Amino acid sequence: MSAVSVDRRVLLSLMAAGGFAVAPHALELPAWIIAVFAAGATWRYGIEIFQWYRPGRLVRFSLMLLILVAVFRQFHTLLGRDPGMALLITLIGLKFLELKTTRDFVVSLFVFYLIILGSFLYGQSLWLGVWALLAAAASTTALVHLTQPTGLDLSQRLRLSGMMLAKAVPLMLVVYLLFPRISGTLWGLPADAHSGLTGMPDTMQPGSIRSLSESSEVAFRVDFDGAPPPARELYWRGLVFTEFDGRGWQRGPVRRVEAASFVPQNEAQRYHVTLEPSNKPWMPALDLPAIRPRGARYQSDFTLEYREPIRDRLSYTLTSYTRYNTGALELAERARALQLPPDASPRARALAAQWQRERGGPQQVAQAALDYFRRENFVYTLSPPLLGEDPVDEFLFGARRGFCEHYAAAFVALMRAAGIPSRVVVGYLGGELNTAGDYLIVRQSDAHAWAEIWLPERGWVRVDPTGAIAPERIELGLDAVRRLEQQGLALGSLSNEAMLRALELGWFEHVARQARWYWDYTNLAWYRWVVDYGKERQERFLASLGLEDISWGRLTGLLTAGVLLITLLYALWLWRPGKSTDPAQAAYLRFCRKLAHAGLTRAPYEGSRAFAERVTRQRTDLATSISEITRLYEDLRYGRVASDRKKFTALKKRVAAFRV
Amino acid sequence: MSDTVILGRRQLFMLPTRFGLLFAALLVVQLLAAINYGNGLAYALTFLLGSLAVVSMLYTHRNLFRLRLAAGTCAPVFAGETASFRIHLTNDSDTPRFGVAVMHDKKEIARADIPARGSADVNLDVPAVKRGPLAMPAVTLITRFPLGLLYSWSRRVTLDQSCLVYPRPAEPTPLRARTEVSLEPATGIRAGGDDYIGAREFRPGDSPRHVDWKAVARGEAWRVKQFGGGYQATVWFDWDTLAGLDTETRLSVLARWVLDAEHDGMLYGLRLPQQALNPANGEAHQHECLKRLALFGLNP
Repeated sequence: MSAVSVDRRVLLSLMAAGGFAVAPHALELPAWIIAVFAAGATWRYGIEIFQWYRPGRLVRFSLMLLILVAVFRQFHTLLGRDPGMALLITLIGLKFLELKTTRDFVVSLFVFYLIILGSFLYGQSLWLGVWALLAAAASTTALVHLTQPTGLDLSQRLRLSGMMLAKAVPLMLVVYLLFPRISGTLWGLPADAHSGLTGMPDTMQPGSIRSLSESSEVAFRVDFDGAPPPARELYWRGLVFTEFDGRGWQRGPVRRVEAASFVPQNEAQRYHVTLEPSNKPWMPALDLPAIRPRGARYQSDFTLEYREPIRDRLSYTLTSYTRYNTGALELAERARALQLPPDASPRARALAAQWQRERGGPQQVAQAALDYFRRENFVYTLSPPLLGEDPVDEFLFGARRGFCEHYAAAFVALMRAAGIPSRVVVGYLGGELNTAGDYLIVRQSDAHAWAEIWLPERGWVRVDPTGAIAPERIELGLDAVRRLEQQGLALGSLSNEAMLRALELGWFEHVARQARWYWDYTNLAWYRWVVDYGKERQERFLASLGLEDISWGRLTGLLTAGVLLITLLYALWLWRPGKSTDPAQAAYLRFCRKLAHAGLTRAPYEGSRAFAERVTRQRTDLATSISEITRLYEDLRYGRVASDRKKFTALKKRVAAFRV
Repeated sequence: MSDTVILGRRQLFMLPTRFGLLFAALLVVQLLAAINYGNGLAYALTFLLGSLAVVSMLYTHRNLFRLRLAAGTCAPVFAGETASFRIHLTNDSDTPRFGVAVMHDKKEIARADIPARGSADVNLDVPAVKRGPLAMPAVTLITRFPLGLLYSWSRRVTLDQSCLVYPRPAEPTPLRARTEVSLEPATGIRAGGDDYIGAREFRPGDSPRHVDWKAVARGEAWRVKQFGGGYQATVWFDWDTLAGLDTETRLSVLARWVLDAEHDGMLYGLRLPQQALNPANGEAHQHECLKRLALFGLNP
């Protein structure tokens, strides 16, 4: 390829394209790497504009060695994602200094495309996708500039590359959706660090659930196959705490079981969960899950646990039954469910013993505890006081202000003291129904703790003491509680009507909520169709098209057919018969056709003027209109002004009115 | 063969350039990365760039599609000079065409941008080696617009246009014996003398300097003023006087004589085997003489 004199404007296009491609990496890689790239580009620009020092081959080679050493010192290796991207970016920055031929430019642009792709290895957010599209457009515009340095200005180049990319999108979608996806990888992936994720704690201390209630981060999203169950049944089971040390709660030993062992008592609920990364293995499931998704373990306490901490979004499909009978209880499990530190909470023990004497059966004792919460001025609050060494007694007989975890823990302690097997379950309660996409958003702030007691005939039964104090929490969700509290309204004291009035949204909040829902839905759709679009989702998508169990070969054939079809449509548009050369001529030809009907045909060699003269001789009655039309046509077609709207309109009108 | 060719689908071909092949390699690398990382965005970018290449195929094709090539005139030249053909490239569409390279003999001779509903002219210079009609050589159009990943080219386009090549004039050669030289009262336009001796009708080739412009301005017919008063040389250039020389040399010498005589303002006639041109002068006459010489002995 011949050497091109480096065109400054083409160089600027290349620099812009590089800037777009490299920018996302500034968030991930050390700043000096981006700085090296910027320095290389700036240096070259300085050479072209201000005649800065032009480095020779030796200097460039030394700089390259220096970069290699620096990258190695930074990452202690030259292999892997980070050092790989660092090398690509720094060396392409250095490449600016030796750009000479068209080939150098083209190779640089192609490397920019690679760098754009590299940024996806750090994340696949919607924003990054949008930015990458801009970056691809910038590189394509630069490629156009390089191929055609003259004749097109920047806006024309942008429009051209934009149009081409827009036309490429339908093709891309066909290939994207139909290209056979595989599960797993071709080679191993480099290990990445994960941190800073929120999720349910492994243990429960007073206040550990409450700390989650501050976070409006999404925990997971749920898409029900049928209608979602009512809000009061949306108990998302996360973890079960059995061991109590007088202050905090722990999981205790669990067994792994093959399948759920309970008798369902209502219809199955099938739903799809998209779980946000939590760096914990817990997989929330609607109380109680009946099946075990791939990669998950089913535990004896009816919880699901992933095989490893969840570091990327995870989707799974589940079936649950909200009414069930879990049957008998093993001895060891029963012992654990009755365990209570001997010296802890003496007053609670005394109270429980009293209920046991007075009421008798476990159901009656549980009811006594709930009545006690309701009767004795307990308050459900998002800002409970701190509790000391014996949180159960302090809460029951002192503060009487608490969050769900306080009620659940105290309730379970009372039950155990009364000899009723019981345990604490933590998870999430409720969720926000996003009407934009018809799915449920469950946030960290929906975290909840409740209790389970074991009854001989019914097995494990869910009891939510929070419901006794603040039924609003169950029915309306935590957000409603928060808003009522902000308005200074005491829970449990309001009539339904007054409460709904207090919760009514202003138009601004309404619009804001709607916008938030659409945004959330966009993100979920992005996740489903981009980040998580792998083998399974592709199979689901194809099944929705009626293409179950399609073979690779047929899928590839379908893909090829789709691409060919769209390309052919584009080509047919391109090959469509050309427009009549000139609208003025079209009008004149219409005039000639009208005359031809009257037997006055224009000979091929006859110019418009000669024709007009001949026709006028034969039809003197038409002389005026013929001469007018001919004059207008000649003016428009051969006149100095290329297009004259007024004259053109006049010509069209005259031709239309012309009668032979 | 015609003097206008419109490039249709069947006249256009396409192949990837070297950069196009490199781009394909890039796509393979990107696809492998996408598969390995199971990365949805990487798939999307790879397929977007692949689709872009497909779309650019259509754009490259469109850049030549329905382009109209027409031959312009070519002024006669002498052998040994360069014939300059003119090619009009006309774009009847609403899409401007960029970077259209005109190739001749595998060399790019010109590159043109053709605006929407506009045209561009390209000169094709060809060395005129031999006398006689010189046919315009075939040209090929090539374009790599817009991305340089593919190039589209037309089949060889031959336009029905030729350039007349006069014989190469010989070195100044003295007139040979049997060249008839006579002195006659001058009646030609170029004749020496300053006296106005009348006017005759305008004939193509007459110098505009002798046109009676005042009469034209009055709306009368075009006439040419003639001057005389002296005597004017009349010469006959005769093929037979150059016996002993080969055909081409004879034609060269005759061409030289014609040029000199025209320059000197003589009346000259040309006698060739089986044809003759009566003495006269003026550009048209000179062209007629040189044309006879150029085409002498060639199949019509």
